[in-house]
Amino acid sequence: MLPTDRLDYSAIIQRPKLQLPGGARLAVWVIVNVEEWDPKEAMPRTVLSPTAGGTPMPDIPNWAWHEYGNRVGFWRMLEVFDEHRVRAVLAVNGSAIGRYELIARAALERGWEFIGHGFTQKNMQKVADEPDDIRKTAAAIRGFAGKNPRGWLGPGLTETWETPDLLVEEGYEYVCDWVLDDQPVLLRTRTKPIVSIPYTQECNDVAMMLIQHHKASEYYDRAIDQFEQLYVDAAHSARVMALVVHPYIMGAPHRLKHFRNALAHIRGHRDVLFWTGEEILDWYLAPRPPID
Amino acid sequence: MIPRERGAYSAIVDRPPLCLPDRARLVVWTIVNLEFWDISRPMARQVLPAPTGQVLLPDVPNWAWHEYGMRVGVWRFFDLFARLAIRPTLSINARVCEEYERVALAARDAGWEFMGHAWEQMPIHRVEDQAAMIAKSLDTLERFAGTRPLGWLGPGLTETEDTPDLLAAAGVKYIGDWVYDDEPTEIRTAHGPLITLPYTVELNDIPMMLVQHHESAYFTQRCIDSFERLYSEGADRAKIMAIAIHPYISGQPHRIKYLEAVYDHVNRYAGVLHWNGAEILDWYLAARGNR
Repeated sequence: MLPTDRLDYSAIIQRPKLQLPGGARLAVWVIVNVEEWDPKEAMPRTVLSPTAGGTPMPDIPNWAWHEYGNRVGFWRMLEVFDEHRVRAVLAVNGSAIGRYELIARAALERGWEFIGHGFTQKNMQKVADEPDDIRKTAAAIRGFAGKNPRGWLGPGLTETWETPDLLVEEGYEYVCDWVLDDQPVLLRTRTKPIVSIPYTQECNDVAMMLIQHHKASEYYDRAIDQFEQLYVDAAHSARVMALVVHPYIMGAPHRLKHFRNALAHIRGHRDVLFWTGEEILDWYLAPRPPID
Repeated sequence: MIPRERGAYSAIVDRPPLCLPDRARLVVWTIVNLEFWDISRPMARQVLPAPTGQVLLPDVPNWAWHEYGMRVGVWRFFDLFARLAIRPTLSINARVCEEYERVALAARDAGWEFMGHAWEQMPIHRVEDQAAMIAKSLDTLERFAGTRPLGWLGPGLTETEDTPDLLAAAGVKYIGDWVYDDEPTEIRTAHGPLITLPYTVELNDIPMMLVQHHESAYFTQRCIDSFERLYSEGADRAKIMAIAIHPYISGQPHRIKYLEAVYDHVNRYAGVLHWNGAEILDWYLAARGNR
């Protein structure tokens, strides 16, 4: 289905007002992406381009650079969530749960939400059997966390024309690939609708550090600028803000403090909720009380 | 062998801490990379893409840009490390001993550790007889420096699936290609264990200046930010911080002061050791038995 078949254009100014509980202005959700990179495939991202070009295989340096995130960086990052008592959303490759079980356990013990992120870190358009991949990912999460994932983020946000249809058919309730709004919206599928929750390519360490090549401090600066504008916008109707991190990027020793400082700044506002994706989903889908 | 066959996933929090002598917190491991770029092939890196994107040979401007490092830039490194009494690890294409003997002699005479870094700068995947290239490189360095290198870094950190096996068979004891931890680790090879030392693609002037295109001054900032985090963590477990530099990049007049500023900063702290790869290896082999 074309995107325009899934939803009609809608201007944020023309919708009924959304209200968060307790008069909160914003719901902030933090997504930690934990992936397994297959050393037999081309690496999803690289920090070091090959000498004299080309795509050498295997690509050990870039594999190892990502692996650092799961061996060391994640554990550094975890201290920040504990310190600020924030429950994150773990967007996890199905295969990574078994491979990095200690990480999955740390997330489960803290009550983080698990969402599907592909069975492996591979473009959904190159996955041989997409329904099977989506199903296997749900099974891996259910097997470990004891319940089905309600949310899905495509690897690299990739989708086929069919992905939202398949997600609903496999029991998922929300999707993160559609960064087209500051509020949740409904997408039509060939069965019942799925909710799109605002994820981000803007406050996302992959886009900022690996593609745009910003200094680490830009993560903090941009997160604050993003937050302050959304906070102002939310005077009229509630907004959702996402922050996205990967252990191999923001978990590097020289970057972590900029994530910590961003979280601390936002945490200092009493009228801001730190929610998981499913809390945002349940709030959005709940019958809305009349606006006074 | 794929990486998983060489060692299982291990979370750093699950390992007992390693301890440095005299309660030191952190080891700074400086690696200077010297390379030979063959003018008959595409250049390893480019500062100036060809007009209209046409890749033409010979690529004289980019060859000359690298050559500047050997003619001028590296002497700024020698001055800096002599002043600081630091003897870095020299990651050296063995062919440099023949083509730039003057530079290699200066490193040898300053007591730098020679680490194998292939014969010349090209992806190891394109080397036809890797075992022969490794042997020729190590033999050349041994003849030149008087001792056989203990360590190895692939050109651009590249490896094929059997590189660690070939290196172990050739007598190499540690490699720098696995930038996956803050501590040394042991991996399996077909010829016995091999140690990985935490080299870096974060505090490395190639990714920072040539890939990510950061401003020169950011090198200091990123190194200091890493140092302060690792120094803090070093209160509980030994940490190693590698700094990887190339004379044609960090040896530029506009960049050298930002490298100097890193050492000025870290040397103000107690409990900071400047060790080369061989020293880190010796310590690790003893320290892991004690933990």
